[in-house]
Amino acid sequence: MTDRAAPDYTTMRRAHSDAAPGVTKFQPLSRIIAHDDFNSGTHGWTQLSGNYDAAGNLDTLEPQMSDFRPPQLSSCNFYDVGTHGAVSGTYALKMATRPIKGHTATAIRRLTMPVRGKVQLEAYFTYKSEARALDPKNAPPKEWDGNYHPSEDLFGAFTLGSDMDDGTRYHVVARYMNTTMDNVPDRRWWAPTVVEPTGKERFDGKVNYSKLDDFTAPNPDDWKPFTEPQDLCYNEVPTKINWHYLRWQFDTETRTNVELQVNDRIYDTSQVDVPLYTEKYRSLNGLLNFYFSVRTHADVRNFLYIDSALVSIDW
Amino acid sequence: MTTVNESLTVLIERNTEFASEFATEPYEVAWAREARWFVVLDEPPNGVEFRLETEISPDGLDWCPLEDVQPHVAGSRVTSWSVRDFGGWLRVRGSVAGQGQVKGSIFLALKA
Repeated sequence: MTDRAAPDYTTMRRAHSDAAPGVTKFQPLSRIIAHDDFNSGTHGWTQLSGNYDAAGNLDTLEPQMSDFRPPQLSSCNFYDVGTHGAVSGTYALKMATRPIKGHTATAIRRLTMPVRGKVQLEAYFTYKSEARALDPKNAPPKEWDGNYHPSEDLFGAFTLGSDMDDGTRYHVVARYMNTTMDNVPDRRWWAPTVVEPTGKERFDGKVNYSKLDDFTAPNPDDWKPFTEPQDLCYNEVPTKINWHYLRWQFDTETRTNVELQVNDRIYDTSQVDVPLYTEKYRSLNGLLNFYFSVRTHADVRNFLYIDSALVSIDW
Repeated sequence: MTTVNESLTVLIERNTEFASEFATEPYEVAWAREARWFVVLDEPPNGVEFRLETEISPDGLDWCPLEDVQPHVAGSRVTSWSVRDFGGWLRVRGSVAGQGQVKGSIFLALKA
């Protein structure tokens, strides 16, 4: 006899989510907070910026957070094929660095925590360096050989970050280090062992970083790899873009990482550092921010593209 | 479902000191039908000619002037000009001539 028991609320909600166009390519937790398809705007993913004084004087911005560039709605448009397009529709969110070694571009989405518990960011992403880096000083580390294209190693790193405060402020971070700062392939996922510098520290005269310093953790010694190398699909030249699935989960109840999935690799990140601020903050209660960033390790523009992103919570 | 037209305002340069000649970073605008540049300076450009020319590109690499758009000379603290039919990419090429510096921001306001 067929079981005709009415599906419960969770099953029904799941069914609705799974049937929604655009959501089926994700594996959300029970409640979807945001589903951002960049065919309909930037959905609140905006340029990260530092703090400034009461007069609104932008000279008071922390130098390392003063020039992150605005994200773009990109049709993934290239010199050899024209418009490439994204996974869902024509447009993706693009972060683009300047062609200056150490420069970073960002996109941040600002939410708060409705509850504490598991939080998950999913996205389809791809990454590229400038299609033609014509300046001879950008001489590639290795020559083109028909398959290998030097632009692959002119891409530096991209980073996932989340900034949270539940009475204690902390970040969770995962960085794909495509190359070292000398453009030598690394391909591992890294996390910082220290908290991100803040404007208050600079105001108090404790630190003063330069414009091109790594805003997430400026000292390279404060980063640790937590995986073996993972080769992604760069697809040889800088104008063929192949999209990767990413799922990144952490727990705001326990202030721990949970796991990172990139295509078929699932990393248990529960032991990856989550440094806590010792300082208490006002006006950050329940803060839940997500950011993507891209940093070039050469005098060549680097790009990170997000086709769509989904934030869900175990709620 | 009722929808409104997309719009997006970005700061192509923010709190920047402009000197001699420069070009702004490439910006993708294929989704937009119209665009308006705003130049917001800290001080009026007295004794300095701050000239800005709109450029377009098929690919973000090779650039040419947008035809029929006169170069913009920023004659006061806040100035603006609009452009249409620009294809997929926009930037401005600028120059500062005369004594002194020019400091401020360049906004790009886009609408579908």
